[in-house]
Amino acid sequence: MNVLREKMWSPYVAGALAGLLLVLSVLVTGKFFGASTTFVRAANYVEQAVAPEKVAGMEYFIKEKAKIDWQFLFVVGVLFGALASAWLSKEKKAVAVPPMWEGRFGASRVRRGVAAFLGGVVLMFGARLADG
Amino acid sequence: MREGTAMNELLTGAITGILFGFLMQKAQVIRYDRQLAALRFKDMTIVKFMLTTTLVAMVGIYLLFDLGLVKLSVKPLILGGNVLGGLIFGIGWGIVGYCPATAMGALGEGRYDSVFGLLGMILGAGIYAEAYPLMKATVLTWGDFGKITLPGVLGINHWIVIVILVAVFIALFRWFEKKGL
Repeated sequence: MNVLREKMWSPYVAGALAGLLLVLSVLVTGKFFGASTTFVRAANYVEQAVAPEKVAGMEYFIKEKAKIDWQFLFVVGVLFGALASAWLSKEKKAVAVPPMWEGRFGASRVRRGVAAFLGGVVLMFGARLADG
Repeated sequence: MREGTAMNELLTGAITGILFGFLMQKAQVIRYDRQLAALRFKDMTIVKFMLTTTLVAMVGIYLLFDLGLVKLSVKPLILGGNVLGGLIFGIGWGIVGYCPATAMGALGEGRYDSVFGLLGMILGAGIYAEAYPLMKATVLTWGDFGKITLPGVLGINHWIVIVILVAVFIALFRWFEKKGL
């Protein structure tokens, strides 16, 4: 299966296959692709461990109930699918600072880590506000 | 829900995620450099991937919908939430360089700066949960049009909208290729 070892597929081909996967998913299980609700559930689980009585009364956590569901496994699956693909094409390597970031902001792992963390906070707040 | 159904749901979720992650890695769309290059109009790989996925899924799902085999999942149009949320999302995305699913994929590839992005996303979701009662009383009441669709608002058959969008996407793809994006 040499095609599985190729470093890059045309984004049109990979995108079309992803589209077919989505159609099949909706047909077989009725599930559309999404990821961000899983982060709400993850936050819920973390907060439950720290302050369970506070979490129990929070409207948003009641609305998006904490559960390990289809989407939770979908999000975890993405990690393993990417791992398998990168491993097959021998591209699995540890990268702490993306090359384009390094070219502009330098090789500091701390600076990149802090920015990625803060960017993640802002991104997810916006994603949830837009309900996406 | 019966236990067997719940197990099947977890299994199909995992399989679908694995296949989707595989395809995203092969298209090289789970990289900071690709995502930022798209935001900087230098390399449209991720846009080609997203729009092709949308194109195929749009045609396929509406075909099945016409055959009565699937249900649509229409999200409400709330201008306050969609516009403000979109702007905030864009600022964060430009900094972290991964969206939620691609951050998981990036971690699978070994790009472990995404771990900090993922932790930030969990915190961001927690902060939103705190802010939700306030948002619900303010931003999420601004311009609430409910669950509407383009064909519904225009009062035309959905295939007219689909054909127009397919033509627009293909014109965009040809332009990307001509410009070497």
